Amino acid sequence: MGYYDIDDMLTEGSEIPCKFLHDIPGLGYLENNPGKPIKANAKLMLPYWLAHILAVVDSGSIDDNSENRMDDERSVPFIEMSTPESFSQKVTNAIKTDPVSLDLHSINPHFYELALKWCGLYSDKNLSEIVSHLLIQRAQEINNFAFSTAIQNKNINSIGSITSSNNINDNKNSNDNSNSNNNNNTHLLASSSFLMTLDELEKQVYKKSHESYKDSKRWMYQNK
Amino acid sequence: MYGDLANKLVIEAKRTAQLNNRGNKTTLPVHNDELVRDIIKEVTQLKRNIEFFKEQEETMNENGEYANSRIMKCQHFVNALCLERNKRCLLGYQKLRSDMLDSLAWENNGMDMLGTVSSEENSNLTHHEQEYLKKYSELLTDMKSGELTDIDLSGSLTPPREIFIDVRVLKDAGEIQTEYGVFNLIKDSQFFVRQSDVERLIQQGFLQKI
Repeated sequence: MGYYDIDDMLTEGSEIPCKFLHDIPGLGYLENNPGKPIKANAKLMLPYWLAHILAVVDSGSIDDNSENRMDDERSVPFIEMSTPESFSQKVTNAIKTDPVSLDLHSINPHFYELALKWCGLYSDKNLSEIVSHLLIQRAQEINNFAFSTAIQNKNINSIGSITSSNNINDNKNSNDNSNSNNNNNTHLLASSSFLMTLDELEKQVYKKSHESYKDSKRWMYQNK
Repeated sequence: MYGDLANKLVIEAKRTAQLNNRGNKTTLPVHNDELVRDIIKEVTQLKRNIEFFKEQEETMNENGEYANSRIMKCQHFVNALCLERNKRCLLGYQKLRSDMLDSLAWENNGMDMLGTVSSEENSNLTHHEQEYLKKYSELLTDMKSGELTDIDLSGSLTPPREIFIDVRVLKDAGEIQTEYGVFNLIKDSQFFVRQSDVERLIQQGFLQKI
């Protein structure tokens, strides 16, 4: 997490449903309507990097709009963010029912990082609990896969390019011994479909644990 | 919308980073000149917008009109944020590439940097990047030949198992002189030599350990 962090930039690129609270002329290009004004209460998707500032910044009220003067709240931001699709009720319910079989990658490839930002912004205790529970549950499964693939000496590269690395591994298997080929294949398919559901943070966890299992194995054989 | 192009660039950078994590070899893809240029164009446009807003505000103030500060502020913010985002994406892309160049310079031991390596990758680097790589390699060589001559900073980290090893010559390298006599390194010939004598040559790709 830093200024130059590519993953962080991609996380901030996630779109969030927003609602404009004021009429702003000349911003129509935000909703693919260049040259036109944006109306108050217009709903549109804005990337997080734009939305999170506009949603917290005070729009200032030195104008003579009397209706705003009357408002009790002195600071009114430009826009209002609503909960993004990734943290909707539907998703949190799915997390509660079965964390392991959830396809997190298709929900948002940067699920955890966005959750971190979101919870930080809104102090959403409920969501943060759900998300940390989710990670703990899935971490066990990730660890299992990292360990078993380390035992079988499978290639770490399977993430991301499942099909291509599958072929490579298939070839290797058939060269090694054709007996266990079928067995390995089914296992590999099961693991690869789970690995496809990992989000970026989980992929890093998987990779690290896989590598450390591999390293410790190598170290043990070296000292024999 | 503003920032879409920059997003494309970051996605490309992500792909590059992933490819590099996978294989051990660093391969630098072609610098996406066109996209970068388009983003810079966008930045110039944003800058012009902001300057325009500023002028507008000033003239309104001079005329004694009460500028609708909320609208001005919002427009200003949106433009400034787009500008920041574009800047960050561009810098992130370039940082990734320069990091890769750094590791390239280390891997290749600072040798032949502009000879063998750049001829293959030449087309993938911009002029500035080539310059950067050259300067960085020079810095590396300076450091290695300075106070740190006694330590081989880019040497192998695995401790040697045998003192003498068999090597095969991959490229003609002329004669080398060792304590045990002179070897004439002709392609495809084999030698039984002391490992510490030929360490450098292995790293540079002249010899292969058997």
